[in-house]
Amino acid sequence: MFDLVFNAIYFASYSNFYGLGNISLSSFDILLAYIVAIVCSIIVALVLRLPLLPSKPYRYSFDVSALYPTPIIAISILSIFLVLNYSFMYNGLVLAIVIGVLSALFVKYLFDFVFPKPLDENAGEDINE
Amino acid sequence: MNEVIGIIIATVLCLLNFIIVDTYFGLPEQPGVRGARIIGKDVEKRGGDIAGGFFQGNILCSPDASAGTLMASIGYLLLGIPGGIIAALLVFIGNRLCADPGYAGTTGCLTATTIIFLTSFVGFKPEMFIVGMVIAIFIIMGIDQARISVVLGKIAKKFNRYARE
Repeated sequence: MFDLVFNAIYFASYSNFYGLGNISLSSFDILLAYIVAIVCSIIVALVLRLPLLPSKPYRYSFDVSALYPTPIIAISILSIFLVLNYSFMYNGLVLAIVIGVLSALFVKYLFDFVFPKPLDENAGEDINE
Repeated sequence: MNEVIGIIIATVLCLLNFIIVDTYFGLPEQPGVRGARIIGKDVEKRGGDIAGGFFQGNILCSPDASAGTLMASIGYLLLGIPGGIIAALLVFIGNRLCADPGYAGTTGCLTATTIIFLTSFVGFKPEMFIVGMVIAIFIIMGIDQARISVVLGKIAKKFNRYARE
């Protein structure tokens, strides 16, 4: 009667399963929207004076930079919109630009508030040993 | 493609993906989170290798490229390529929740999505990668932890990422 797992998977994959996902968008449009989102987010992040590369031994990703969290947040938010079948105007290009700008703003101003750094300096050390 | 052959090849691809990504981003070098050091010391006590122990502890305690590969294949099964990219965001949030400083999870997720997309032309399905990833994690963690950790330590030495202790 009410199969939760089936319903959840059915709902999540509905548009894809029946080939309805973004029926107006070709795959080239989707690729173009992804590229626009990546480039736009990197450029806006550089304009906001984030560093291009993370700090040198590439182990500590809490330092935000233009290349590491910004494009990834941008393309994943964009793919959530694409999966939900919402592509605004001009084959999703406007949506890609808006998401790119917003994700760069998020990384610059809100990132430390949403994902705070760990409190103690020696993360990864034991308490008593 | 025959399912059994597909699962075996997918297991090998998953193993290669997450071991290379994790080792490159320095999982054997240092424990990124607290539990990893305890597991590494324990594996060393049982006759294993400290770098392989750190590797196994990091895999167990925080989402790294192994979790990224698994979640990317699940996302690809549900939603196609956008699903794989959404999985990268989820792994990123998981990394932050675990206070894990590392790039391995997100990178592994994106490379796994690429691998699944490329092999889908040959006839692989994302289901095979889900099963293959579970088998791969079982090989790393489940059969003989100490011996596998020695192998992982040798791989870490090849990549010049051995434990700095």
